[in-house]
Formats: sequence, structure tokens, C-alpha cells
Amino acid sequence: MRFEGTLDIAAPRDRVWSFLTDPKQVTTCAPDVQSLEVTDPHRFKVVVRAGVGPIKGTFTMNVEFTELEEPGHATVVARGQAPGSAVEMRSTMDLAALDGTRTTMKWASDVTVSGMIQQVGARLMQGAADKITQQVFSCIKAKLEAPVTA
Amino acid sequence: MAVEIGGIGHSVKRKEDARFIRGKGKYVDDVKLPGMLYLDIARSPLAHARIKNIDTSKALKIPGVVAVITGKDLVPLNLHWMPTLMSDKQMVLPTDTVLYQAQEVAAVVATERYIAADGVDAIEVDYEPLPVVVDPIKALQPGATLVREDREQKDNHIWHWEVGDKAGTDKAFKDAEVVVKQDLYIPRIHVSSIETCGIVASFDKVEGKLTVWMTTQAPHAIRTVIALVAGHLGLAEHKIRVISPDIGGGFGGKVPVYPGYVLAIGASVLTGAPVKWIEDRAENIQADSFARDYHISAELAAKKDGTMQALRVKTIADHGAFDAAANPSKYPAGLFHIITGSYPFQKSFVEVDGAYTNKPPGGIAYRCSFRVTEAAFTIERLVDVLALELKRDPAELRMQNFIPPTAFPYTSALGWEYDSGDYGRALRLAMDKIGYAELRKEQAAKRAKGELMGIGISSFTEIVGAGPSKNFDILGIKMFDSAEIRVHPTGKVMVRIGVKSQGQGHETTFGQIVAEELGIPVADIAVEEGDTDTAPYGLGTYASRSTPVAGGATAIAARKIREKAKLIAAHLLEANPDDVEWKDYKFQVKGVPAKSKTMQEVAFAAYTNHPQGMEAGLEAVDYYDPPNLTFPFGSYICVVDIDRGTGEVKIRRFVAVDDCGTIINPMIVEGQIHGGLTMGLAPALYEQITYDEQGNIQGGTFMDYLLPTAMETPNWETAKTTTPSPHHPIGAKGVGESATVGAPAAIANAVVDALAHLGVRHIDIPITPWKVQKILKEKGVAE
Repeated sequence: MRFEGTLDIAAPRDRVWSFLTDPKQVTTCAPDVQSLEVTDPHRFKVVVRAGVGPIKGTFTMNVEFTELEEPGHATVVARGQAPGSAVEMRSTMDLAALDGTRTTMKWASDVTVSGMIQQVGARLMQGAADKITQQVFSCIKAKLEAPVTA
Repeated sequence: MAVEIGGIGHSVKRKEDARFIRGKGKYVDDVKLPGMLYLDIARSPLAHARIKNIDTSKALKIPGVVAVITGKDLVPLNLHWMPTLMSDKQMVLPTDTVLYQAQEVAAVVATERYIAADGVDAIEVDYEPLPVVVDPIKALQPGATLVREDREQKDNHIWHWEVGDKAGTDKAFKDAEVVVKQDLYIPRIHVSSIETCGIVASFDKVEGKLTVWMTTQAPHAIRTVIALVAGHLGLAEHKIRVISPDIGGGFGGKVPVYPGYVLAIGASVLTGAPVKWIEDRAENIQADSFARDYHISAELAAKKDGTMQALRVKTIADHGAFDAAANPSKYPAGLFHIITGSYPFQKSFVEVDGAYTNKPPGGIAYRCSFRVTEAAFTIERLVDVLALELKRDPAELRMQNFIPPTAFPYTSALGWEYDSGDYGRALRLAMDKIGYAELRKEQAAKRAKGELMGIGISSFTEIVGAGPSKNFDILGIKMFDSAEIRVHPTGKVMVRIGVKSQGQGHETTFGQIVAEELGIPVADIAVEEGDTDTAPYGLGTYASRSTPVAGGATAIAARKIREKAKLIAAHLLEANPDDVEWKDYKFQVKGVPAKSKTMQEVAFAAYTNHPQGMEAGLEAVDYYDPPNLTFPFGSYICVVDIDRGTGEVKIRRFVAVDDCGTIINPMIVEGQIHGGLTMGLAPALYEQITYDEQGNIQGGTFMDYLLPTAMETPNWETAKTTTPSPHHPIGAKGVGESATVGAPAAIANAVVDALAHLGVRHIDIPITPWKVQKILKEKGVAE
């Protein structure tokens, strides 16, 4: 499945960049995070609970920034498993500064889900993915657009 | 008298139903032993991946988890691979690569079933995904992803098999006046028996004896396989007891050996405790052997007058990651070459190529005698395609071409010797019963009004009862079968047979065979099977072989008893044995009916007053090697109406005329046909397992794999003709699979017939409302 979109954020590009490429910050917007373990600046391991309808699993995701071209372009590969299911996501983002205070993020993500969640939940997958995406992006927007508290 | 005895031809109520309808059946999962452990299996979510690491540490920390087994643990025992029945091998657990989704990856043994499942969830496997190939046609192309790196041959081709006269067939096609060709796909389906597979393995470390209760259709063969595969671990055949208790449906799915069985046996041998493994429903559908999955291209050559002349068939068989089919060893494509069906083709040529894909292994015979359903569907569909081409009535075209009753025994172009048949009689009866001529008139009237109604015929011929030892073996073991009969002093009888019922009613029908032969009431005859410590060796129940093979053994063993009993009767009657005859279920002095002895009187004498010089007792054993297979047949006619709005196919009537030779129990035969017809309806309209490009199973649970229920099942109308098998001791041919084999083509032909005037010539099964509605829209007749 491929997902893509554009998001306007009322925050300067540098701030958006540092938020999205910092495992500790960006995972605050991931759904239902159980734990986070940063291996090195480019790699981290995050445990999230996600699923489709009643079929939920705890996914252990190994995430790697495979390209980091500050301040505008990054690619991320996340690979993980839940019991009986596996997921792989390859995502790219490109940030463009609209002006000093606003940033446009173009993003795309190729997601492959295998196993029980895909088998049972295939028909619901699109809707569930849209919902999670919306939650993640509104969280990112909210956090970045909030006034900076020192 | 005859009714009291309940011999052949009587609708004796099924003895086994007394416990089944009270919920007192005893299945593998009912076996509970002290100290029993439970095994559960971790399975791969990916269809093809390298295993970089398996971390079992978290699972082992769970209280109650006794052991976690991975492929690496099996290597020192040489149990990480096991042989299949088809000269291939299959992973028990992988050491480095998984080849299909739902493949076994590791096993957890725990003190409770739920703890075992928690242990499975706690296993962490690091997979590196590999490219996936799910389409066998793509798999056979150069450069395709290689499924089996372990083989020396570095492509996905398993075997090529062919039969028939290629040059002669090609010439017949070159010279033919009419040639029709049809590509068709027989989809991958699953038997979905009510009971899933399971085992309780119990190894007694003191005695060195392994006892297994197992859902197997072939307990003796399993015992030998265990001895051959695990002999190096000290398991010798005299110390292995396989018990196949009540089975909730087999249909071919309980013939193979699955990794779970091996793991449970291994776990019991290692721990010394009994170990139980019972699959859940999703595991059963996703990982156990599938059936069908044949991509067929078939051509038929004929004269303009409709005379069928030659048949040419090319097939690609998708076997998944391992060739785990369960065919007689000499026949990699089973008995697919029964594909000439009920017609006297002069020339035929059939070829099949097996292919590996990243899909679960198998290729079992789902309620048919090894690829007979695929064959029957193909020829019966193709005959209708020819009828359309020639603008002929499909019934009339069949009648014109049938092998005539006078031609039997008939040798087909592909080498089978059909034992007996009267195909025209069966089709005429079906046509009379359904009112064929009137239906055709009704159809014409409806067409004029734009309504869609179709009539479909299937006049199939089966080949069952494998089989004669000169050609039939499994792993070298000849496909005979056996019976042992003991008549006790009080005239009661114990019959033990080498086959194993999964619902067929053997405890009743085999009793009836003995009742008929010995004149002892069926109520006084106990039939036992499925315990290798007590039953004589046999190859088990599948391919409709129980009555043709073990039934023959039973009749002959009973006749051996009668021979000896006659000598005892002569002794009791003080007559010359030559003057004694078996008449009206008694021994009589010829011409003096008043001087007679019953079998019960003789049995008592066999232990109390036998002639001097004769061995005491009254028992016999027979190992029956059938001289030929049997060829049941039938004609089915189906009438459908199609909803132009939804595309739904509604079966209005279905008449099934079957001929299975001598009928032992008409009620059981009718029940078999009802069940078989429903299992034929299933793939015609509902069932299919597909895979997406990543090898994800679509249809791996009952949410997506659609089984017909009583709601979908029409009212079946059955009738029979009786053409006994000339070579079988009681003339019986076997009936368990006829309807599964014959029904799909009748239904598909009816649907195509309803749409034929719109230019439709073929629709692949399952014919779902979606497929039909798409056609209706294309043809501009959707409502």
C-alpha cells in the first residue's frame, strides 16, 4: 500500500526537521508507544501497539534513517513484527520552507503488511491507516505549532 | 430372515451414530493423560524470508514453558527435514529460510495450552524478507525467484509427467474437422474438516514404547513412516503404536504427516511426558495440505457430426514449497489420466508439470481418488464447449459418444481398463427424473423474456480403489488391504480391518458384508479399526478404497471362514462335505432342508466339538490385492436461475444418478452422496484460497473462506443404477467421492448454459456473484 500527502506546518523548517529526525521527539506522536530504545543517532527500536479493529498486536519496530540530508530530505525504513504478523514501511519526507515561519512537508510511505493482521483485516486496512496517519500528523502539527516554551 | 441379518442391501442404521449423536465420540483432543504437556507452533508471517535470528529467551522465562524447539535443535537429531510421500522432502522446522506464510518456525512445549500460546507470542524472529513468487506460471519462467535453494536443480520445476500417444494425438488434431480449446483453472481449496489435525504422543521411557493418538486416515503407514524416519532415535516398529480414534472428517487432509506431529513425538521422546498438539482452525486452513490448484489447457478434436476423436491436455500443477501430495508413488499427477472420462477417444495425450511456489505445500486428493476431480471437471466442461461449438444439445452429444455398455471391459486411450459401465442408462434416468425436454422448452421461453436459466450435465466416470500391487504403492508399500475375522464360540464376531473410517460408517457396512457372508446378524458383529497393535496391516481410507480393497478382503476372509465352517457343519450333520450347501444363510444337506446348521451352531462346535484332526477355532485373515481398480460413474443434472441484479446463482434443482455397483447400505450411500454433492457445490460457487503478491493468504479463516451451510445447500434429489464390478468379490465399486467429483462440472455447465446465448463459453470456478455480475454488465443484461 502506498500512502502520500502534504502537510503545512506553522513552524520554521529547522524546527520541523529537528523534531521529525529526533527519535525521542517524533515517537511522542506514534500511536500507543510502549517503549523506545535509541541505538545510535540513526537507529532506534520502538514498541507500539497497533492494529485493525479488534485485531491488535504489539509491534516491535526497528527504525533506521537511511538518508538524512539536512534540512530538507530524509528516508526512513521501519521493519517490525507482531505475533503472527509483520510490517515493513519505507517512507520519505521532503521539507520546503514557505517562509521563516511556515514549512510544507511532502511525504510518502510504502507499507507492506503480512500475516494475520493482513489476512483478517485487509478490507479495513485503508481506513485504519488513514486514521492513524491523521492522528500522527495532527499530533505533529499540534506539537510544532505550540508556542515554544523554554 | 434377510432383514434380521442386515446383510448387503439393507439400510441398517449406523452403529457408530449411537455415540456420535450423544456427544460420546472419542477424538484425539478427548485424550487426556496425567502430566500431559501442550505444544504450540510459531509460524512465519512472511512468505519468503531469511531467518537472521530466533530469540527464544523471553519465551523460556514464562513460568510453565518447558521447552522451545527451533530448527537448529533438530539438526543434531536429523529431524529438521522429513520425507514427503512424493520423493520430495519437507522442512519440519527451518534452520535459515522460510518458504511460505504460516510455515512452522519454532515450537513451544508448556504445561498448559494457553501458556504454550503465550510462549509462541514471546518468540522473536528477525526476518529478512526475500522476493516472493506465488504464480506457478511465473515461477517456471527463467529468472524467477528460486523457491528451493536446497535442491541441486536451480529452478522451480519439480517434475514433468506425461502419458499417451503424443505423435498420434498431434496427428489426430491436425486432421480434425473441429477442434475446441479451453483453458481452465481448478482453484486451490481446503478440505476444512470439522475436526482439525492433532496428536497426543506418549513415550514410555521404561518400556521404550511410543503410543500416539493421531488424526490419521492411514495409521499403519504412519507407524512404518515413524519407524523409518525416527529409527535412528531408537523407535522400532514393534514399539510404536498408532491409534486413530474417532475422526471428524478426513477427506484426504489427514493422510500426510505434518510437522506438528513430528514435533509432538520428538517432544515426548525428549521429555518423557505425553505431549498434545491440536491445530486451531486458521492453522488448519493455512498450513495443512491444500487440494487442486491445477492450471489446465485442454483441447478436444472431433468430427463435424460430433464424434469425439482425440484429447490433448497440458497442465501446470502448483505444489507450493514442497511436493507434499499424497499420491501413489508412481503417479506424480495422481490418476489425472482418467480425463478421457466416459468417452471412447481414439488418441489422447496428457502432460503435467509440477512447480514450486512460495505457498503452503500439498496437492492432496480432496475427497477424490488422486486428481480425479480435476480430470472429471475438465472433460465434462470441455464436452459442453464442444456442444456449444457444434450447436448441439449437450445431453444428445454425450449420448452419441458414450462408451457403449457392450464395450466393457474397455481399455482407454490412456491405458486404464474400465471394469463395467452403462453411461447412457444413468443419463437417461437423470433426464427422465428432472424432465429434461420440458426444461429446455421452459428455458427457451424464459430466454425470450430475458430471464436467465441454465441446465448443466455432468456424466462423469471415476477411478477408485487403489490399487493393484503391480502399479500401486506408497513409499514402496503395496496398496493391498486387509481383514481379520474371529467368530467367537457363542457366534458373535470381531472384525478388524486395515482401513480407518472418518465418518464413512465402516462399523456398520463392514459388519453387513460379514453378516451377508456368514448369516450372522449385523448386531452381533463388532468392527474395529485404527489401532495398529490390534488391526491387520493396511494402507488406510482415502481414494474410495475402503470398500473396493478392504471390503474385498473382508468378503474373502468371511468366505475362508465359511469353507472351514462347512467342514464342521458336515461333521455335525454326519454328512459328506460335498453334500452340504450354504443356502438361506445356513448349511443344509442338499435336498434335505430340515437337516441344517446355523453359523452360530457351527461356531460353538468349532471350540467344543470340532472334528478330530482339524484345528480348533474359527477365524481367518485376508490380505486382498485387487486385480483392477473400480470405475463408478454417474450423471448429474443441475438447473440454475441467475439473478440479473445481484449475479447470484440459484440452484433450483439438482438430480444425481449414481452407479457405484453393488450397494451395501443404501442409506449410507445416500448420505455419502448428499455430503459429496455439498462438497462439490462448495468449489463450484464458493471456496477458493488465493494469495496476494507478497504471498499473504487470502482466505485463511472462515471469515474469508466461504463454506456452504444448510442455507446455501439446495435439495439434492438422488437416484441410482446398479452395474456391479465384475472383478470385485461383492461387486461393489465405492461411492464416497463420486459426488464431489461429478458435481462441480454440472453446476458450472448450468451457469454457462444460462449465459451461452450471450456468447459466454466458460467461467472459472468458483462462480461468485461478482464474476457473474461482471459478465452481465459486459453483456448489457444486468438489472
